[in-house]
Amino acid sequence: MVRFKHRYLLCEVVSDDPRCRLTLEDRVLGTLVRDTIARVHGTFGAAACSIGFAVRYLNAYTGIVLLRCRKEFYRLVWSALPFITYLENKGHRYPCFLNTLHVGGTIRTCQKFLIQYNRRQLLILLQNCTDEGEREAIQKSVTKSCLLEEESAGEELSDSGGEATAEPME
Amino acid sequence: MPAPATTYERIVYKNPSEYHYMKVRLEFQDCGVGLNAAQFKQLLISALKDLFGEVDAALPLDVLTYEEKTLSAILRICSSGLVKLWSSLTLLGSYKGKNCAFRVIQVSPFLLALSGNSRELVLN
Repeated sequence: MVRFKHRYLLCEVVSDDPRCRLTLEDRVLGTLVRDTIARVHGTFGAAACSIGFAVRYLNAYTGIVLLRCRKEFYRLVWSALPFITYLENKGHRYPCFLNTLHVGGTIRTCQKFLIQYNRRQLLILLQNCTDEGEREAIQKSVTKSCLLEEESAGEELSDSGGEATAEPME
Repeated sequence: MPAPATTYERIVYKNPSEYHYMKVRLEFQDCGVGLNAAQFKQLLISALKDLFGEVDAALPLDVLTYEEKTLSAILRICSSGLVKLWSSLTLLGSYKGKNCAFRVIQVSPFLLALSGNSRELVLN
């Protein structure tokens, strides 16, 4: 069938500064990625990647970003992501980097990956946890997500996999 | 009568050369503009950077010979970058505000081929 095929890049914004994630906005990030592609791949890259480019999903608490681009040029976008070194918002500059977790052909596959990834992250957090109250909160989230998994065999919204919003902000 | 069966052995020698060589000439609209070799290379790299970005501006490009009087040069580029270099030379329009154009005279994967050009052959 004839349709435009896309690639969805699931990325995580990693930063030392906890305020960095809170200032994430889809338009700001979109322009940042477009400018970086223009710098790294020139006019050709900027034009090729900006046709099907969009920021599809953004979670400010966990720093997860889902970018969409055309299938023919996803490698240009992917290779430009390591050149992003800071996020600028309202005059404040926060150093950060984008870690690509998964490349998928549809939003649904990225969602499935994100749910599994968040479950694994919850377990890692449980191990590294120091405070008793936080530990209880995380354990509750873990058991809830395991029960949900048994119930519906993985058919969850990715937002509930962001019961990693129970993730403690340090 | 059926011909006797002969055995053939075909050897394909695939050795694509790593580099391509281009003979180019820079033409300005007005006369009296001169560039030295460093400025010429800077112009080439800025043309690549404009069209293809920093990644391709770092392609291993060499200016093998350069003549300042005729503004002609022989360039060497790795074969994967030939199309990018040629297209960025095509789209280069000006140097320091003065209109200019690159004329590509000859392209070959062998440097020896650039030494003789059948178009410039003089028959007695």
